[in-house]
Amino acid sequence: MRLDWLEPDQSARGPLHRIDARVKLLATLALVISVVLLPIGVWRPLGGAAILLAFLIGISGVPPGLLMRRGLAVLPVVVLLAVMIAHSHPMAPALGPWIVGGTILAKNCLTILSVLLLAHVTPFRDLMTALERLRAPTVLVATLLLMYRYLFVLADQLGRMARARRSRSFRNSRWSEWPLGASLIAGLLLRSFERGERVHAAMLARGWDGTFRSLDGPDPPDR
Amino acid sequence: MHIPDNLLSQPVILTTGAVALGGFALGLRRLRTRLRDRTMVLMGVMSAFVFAAQMVNFPLFVVPASGHLIGGVLAAVLLGPWAGALVLGTVLLVQALLFADGGILALGANFVNLGLIASVGGYAIYDPIRKSVGGQSGVLIGAMVAAWFSVLLASLAFTIELAASGYWSDLPRVLGWMTMIHAVIGLGEAMITGLVLRTVLSVRPDLIFDDEGATTRSGRWSRVALGGLAASLAVAAFLAPLASPKDDGLEFVGGRLGFLNDEAGSLLTGPMRDYSIEGLPDIALVTAAVGLIGTLTVFITGLILARAFTQNTQNHNELGPSSPAEKGPEPHAA
Repeated sequence: MRLDWLEPDQSARGPLHRIDARVKLLATLALVISVVLLPIGVWRPLGGAAILLAFLIGISGVPPGLLMRRGLAVLPVVVLLAVMIAHSHPMAPALGPWIVGGTILAKNCLTILSVLLLAHVTPFRDLMTALERLRAPTVLVATLLLMYRYLFVLADQLGRMARARRSRSFRNSRWSEWPLGASLIAGLLLRSFERGERVHAAMLARGWDGTFRSLDGPDPPDR
Repeated sequence: MHIPDNLLSQPVILTTGAVALGGFALGLRRLRTRLRDRTMVLMGVMSAFVFAAQMVNFPLFVVPASGHLIGGVLAAVLLGPWAGALVLGTVLLVQALLFADGGILALGANFVNLGLIASVGGYAIYDPIRKSVGGQSGVLIGAMVAAWFSVLLASLAFTIELAASGYWSDLPRVLGWMTMIHAVIGLGEAMITGLVLRTVLSVRPDLIFDDEGATTRSGRWSRVALGGLAASLAVAAFLAPLASPKDDGLEFVGGRLGFLNDEAGSLLTGPMRDYSIEGLPDIALVTAAVGLIGTLTVFITGLILARAFTQNTQNHNELGPSSPAEKGPEPHAA
């Protein structure tokens, strides 16, 4: 199982890591919104945003190649959609489909890179605390935290089950992959469900009252 | 497929965002009364499960690529429609925040498509079929048909959101392609959902969500309304390409779905006039044929799977290589 891509690499340390997660979250949101709002065919503000982003990536200490690689993973969808709609954009008759498609692509590169940069300079736990302090619903934040915590446990379990499957099934045809994969998912599903029930019982036994507390970082606001 | 940023217009972003927020709040309220304090834990673990289950790759036979489960209907069948939608929503949020997979501003649209339409709408298709067929075969057939439709309906919603962003002239072409591609993707989703549920039914049939006791009159009515909506959307998906060569076909569909406001109307007049429809009837016919064949295929496969399943219930040791793994000692580290 490839677990490395589940968690953005936080090993690089730069000045952006020290900023409050709320600031980073809101700044990223502002950058994304302003890039999305830019009309087609306006290049100068787009260039400005690109320079700003390049500067931020430069001082962040995150390897640019890493961000590019992760960005490339989601770019094919964007290219497909840009090709699909470039001809019929309202601005297409005036500017030509190449400009339209190119602008959509460029704007998407910017938004994708800025979100990836945020993920690489902010631990997920801090991002969630920031969300909570920005008055996101507690249930949502708690669900996301629990999901993130058990993601790696379940992915590990899936890896062990896949290894067991590989070591026991010698004749793998392409057809047998489907029922095998499905039974893998079903087994994981049953274990996840039971694990959820056990975790809940264990949390109740330790006096859980529905709030998450953390030893490091700022306290969540009183509700 | 998640919608990236920069494709939807601001009205669409705001509308889908509002619908998504409303649906999310409604789902949370439903869940709090049903699951009470178990909500967070179960939802968190099940979201992690959906995330992990999407890592299992299934080889495709036609192209050298692999696909994976989406899980909207599977989550709805096991947890109920609203919990399924919320689970999909948290998965989408993490994918957008950590991997930039799907835009931040398009999060509302993605949640409407994959959470509300695929999970809640899929459940609205699954539930009547399950109840009319009955028993465990009903669960299997209903879930497979619903899984197929959920993929198709989600792609249809995506196409409409795109069209409402100012690309009305593309609607027939994009709709045709999207329907064809997603009819095939939906077959895979239906197959995986059916196979997974077969194992679940044989090991822990009590896990299947059942709201028999909790159904009130209002709940039943909303389900009927949702079912009708889903059915009409499905019909629209197949009829829209057929109707579009006629000049008012698009307006008919747009007006029926309530998306054709004045602003979009003015956009319509320009590009629609000189839109060439050469070759379009072919796509339209193929699309309709694909739709019919897909529904039939899913239904028949469901029947076969259900038949094979009921024969196997006497000894579910023969179900597959998964059985030894499931009976292994459970690790107690929670």
